Amino acid sequence: MSNLVVHRRSLMLGLTAGGAALALAPAALATTSPDIGKPAPLFTGTDSNGKTWSLADLKGKVVVLETTNHDCPYVRKHYVAKNMQDQQREAAAKGVVWLTVASSATGEQGHVTAAQANDLTKSRDAAPAAVLLDPQSRIARAYGATVTPHMYIIDAKGVLVYKGGIDSISSSSPSDIPKAKQYVRLALDEVLAGKPVTEASTRAYGCSLKYPRTST
Amino acid sequence: MPRFLALLLALLAAGPAVAQSVVQTDNVRAELLSEVATVKPGEPFWVGLRQTIRPKWHTYWKNPGDSGLPTEIAWTLPAGATAEPIVWPTPHLFNIGGIVNYGFKDEAMLLVRITPPADLAGPLKVAADANWLVCEDVCIPEEGKFELVLPAGAGAAATPAPPAVRTLFETARRSLPIESPWPARYGVSKTGDPTVIVEARGLKAETIRDIYFFPAEWGPVASMARQNASLTTEGIVLPLRRGDAKVALPERLAGTLVLTEKTAGGDVKQAFDVSAKLDPAFVPPARALGAVDGSEQLSLVQALLFAVLGGLILNLMPCVFPVLAMKAAAFARLAGHARGEMRRDGLAYTAGVLASFGAMAAVVLAIRASVGEVTWGFQFQSPVFSLLIAYLFFTVGLNLSGVFEIGGRLAGVGQGLAARGGTTGAFFTGVLAVIVATPCTAPFMAAALGFALSQPAPATVAVLLAMGLGLALPYLALSMTPALQRLMPRPGPWMDRLRQFLAFPMYASAVWMIWVLTQQTGSDGVVYALGGMILIAFAVWVLRLGGEAAPVSWRRRGIAAAAVLLALAATLRLDNGAATAASNPGGPASGVSFEGWERFSRDRMNQAVAAGQPVFVDFTAAWCITCLVNEKVALETPASRRAFEQAGVVKLKGDWTNRDAEITAVLKEVGRAGVPLYLFWAPGADRPKILPQVLTEAMILSELSSLQQAKR
Repeated sequence: MSNLVVHRRSLMLGLTAGGAALALAPAALATTSPDIGKPAPLFTGTDSNGKTWSLADLKGKVVVLETTNHDCPYVRKHYVAKNMQDQQREAAAKGVVWLTVASSATGEQGHVTAAQANDLTKSRDAAPAAVLLDPQSRIARAYGATVTPHMYIIDAKGVLVYKGGIDSISSSSPSDIPKAKQYVRLALDEVLAGKPVTEASTRAYGCSLKYPRTST
Repeated sequence: MPRFLALLLALLAAGPAVAQSVVQTDNVRAELLSEVATVKPGEPFWVGLRQTIRPKWHTYWKNPGDSGLPTEIAWTLPAGATAEPIVWPTPHLFNIGGIVNYGFKDEAMLLVRITPPADLAGPLKVAADANWLVCEDVCIPEEGKFELVLPAGAGAAATPAPPAVRTLFETARRSLPIESPWPARYGVSKTGDPTVIVEARGLKAETIRDIYFFPAEWGPVASMARQNASLTTEGIVLPLRRGDAKVALPERLAGTLVLTEKTAGGDVKQAFDVSAKLDPAFVPPARALGAVDGSEQLSLVQALLFAVLGGLILNLMPCVFPVLAMKAAAFARLAGHARGEMRRDGLAYTAGVLASFGAMAAVVLAIRASVGEVTWGFQFQSPVFSLLIAYLFFTVGLNLSGVFEIGGRLAGVGQGLAARGGTTGAFFTGVLAVIVATPCTAPFMAAALGFALSQPAPATVAVLLAMGLGLALPYLALSMTPALQRLMPRPGPWMDRLRQFLAFPMYASAVWMIWVLTQQTGSDGVVYALGGMILIAFAVWVLRLGGEAAPVSWRRRGIAAAAVLLALAATLRLDNGAATAASNPGGPASGVSFEGWERFSRDRMNQAVAAGQPVFVDFTAAWCITCLVNEKVALETPASRRAFEQAGVVKLKGDWTNRDAEITAVLKEVGRAGVPLYLFWAPGADRPKILPQVLTEAMILSELSSLQQAKR
């Protein structure tokens, strides 16, 4: 019986129509990163003080997402040098909502309880609007985060306008920070000035994000 | 004696340098090695940073993938000396919780070529600051400072390092990708996803697996997306996903292509550096998201739902719709008949569809049982099938146009039976619907089929049957529900007009199928397909001479049958065409090159051996990648060519691309099932030496030099 015999090219034809059926596939089957200029994936999360944050409620405000894992050397680089804290304060002063997202899965490096998260904020003198606890890595997965720190900026209309690294020199040495282009700071300035972001997608560097192991 | 002294000197010189050149961190032992013990001013030499990595940990390649960082080396050299960029070994893929990284485990040697200044006075001091990221689940940045002091040699040439160190360099070179022997190009789909085609034509699908393209840099290609590489008549096709960089795709897309070839002597992993040129004329089809990314995580229930949905949508395809419309028109005639009869009709149709899908499932299972892993599309690229389907579309189109009426005696079995009234007719309409639907089904079936193929047999069958159910569902519902039946329009002349109109989507489907055919066979396919269609139309005309009712003479039947047979004969041409095109020399990398070699024959071999000449026999095939690589790195290097010539070796090459019987016999005699096979007859030997299936230049040179020494 030969009616299964279909050339690969023909398998791929008619996909414009096929896309309609396939678009019904459940979202987030695979970790894919959302596109710049498209609505940012919505999420709801609980912070270290028990407060619920929903991206939908933050319409009208510029939002920064920062994935974190306090034991990751690249996260430490930016906290030891106070680069992260400085940018969090600058952002807050401009009315930007900065959400640090602890997405390491339970049992993995960087996983924190609410109390640990608050202690870290205090000991590191950090100033995010909130630290979201994401032990099932749901937010990270929705954004296709691969590393810590992986940075995202969502504009007041809820559109994703930046994704990538915190800066341009992918090293673990704090001495590189002054030499690096601070992508997030530059992008935030452009967003707040109503300009398009020049470098909207950069290579994020850091430790791999510690997703739950069952997802492999 | 002077050699021994030089060695001693080298060891003495290397001694203190080694002590300074090792850095042991928690996870990596790193050592800076030099291939030479003394350097010659102005003459380049190689150093290597050798990382011995803690088990299960890894360091990174030049493109580390989704996370991680490549090892960096900053050199401090005296003025006038230069260090080139790292030459990277072939990377491995690490998938950690869905995050894909490219790097090295256990051991990696990063080679760097250094050129000392021409006016070097005194020893050359090579200092390096290296830093690397080493990860298991957690990542640790590490670093080390290295220093080598290499004396400037007094002699005319640099002195080599001790054999153990040279062996490390030799091994490292073997794990470097070689430059691709095939040209490559790439195109961008409408969705922006690149597809690379490495024009390695005529490869054998069943011997090559684990094909992966490591993009050379972050940006143009997403490392996280799965790559479903396939072998087609065009070569190795690598559908990729565009990366995150918001820049235009480069003029050349570079990367390392890795694959594993199954040879008679075991699996051989090969790596090629590929630089694919942007080909604006090549627009690959957009990627089936569900098929490529989703199939892995699709649950059985989801797959069944998709299958039903896919089947439903099939009803709207231009190739299926006319068949159904015919069925619906016939149904309208039935209106008013007993409900039981309608129900039986609907059930018979459904049974026909399900039986066809059941048969498909059986084929899939049978293929899987015989071939092992089945990659969808891969095993199923048959120009013959495309041509037959094109004929079928055309013939159904002619029928719809009213050129001929289907009578049980004249048309193909499926249509003939389909035209029969009653339950049997309904059953075969179902079968026909599936046959004409298959070419259109593919995109919809891709996700479910991909899933089905990777599942145990019961799930495979369930998914395919679910798809059949979806296809049959609208008609089944119609036959079961009187309320729906009342919505059907009354029969009338509109039915004929509709039928005639529906011929056009059928013709369009035939055109599309011919296009598919040309993708497989090139433009020759058009001639065969359209020629075949003319013959079919001619056959129909011959049979219809003298009107519908006139009896058809045997002579006319004979002529019509001859025309149809001739049309079908085109399929044989196509099959042969595809096979010979693959082995036909002339096209790029499509054939075995005999330059510098004599064609193998047993007589020639025996004669040369009897004459006491050294004989080297290379059994190769156009589809054998390992053979090609051996030629590139071992047999056809300038040094090997020279050595062959100096030793006066008779070089014979046997082309086993088409399973030459004489060669098969030789392979059997030495207990081999396939190529590569290398035989070396030393002069006067009564049997040949069988060389390993993976050759190195050093191996060839040592064989030939032993010959030279024996001569003296």
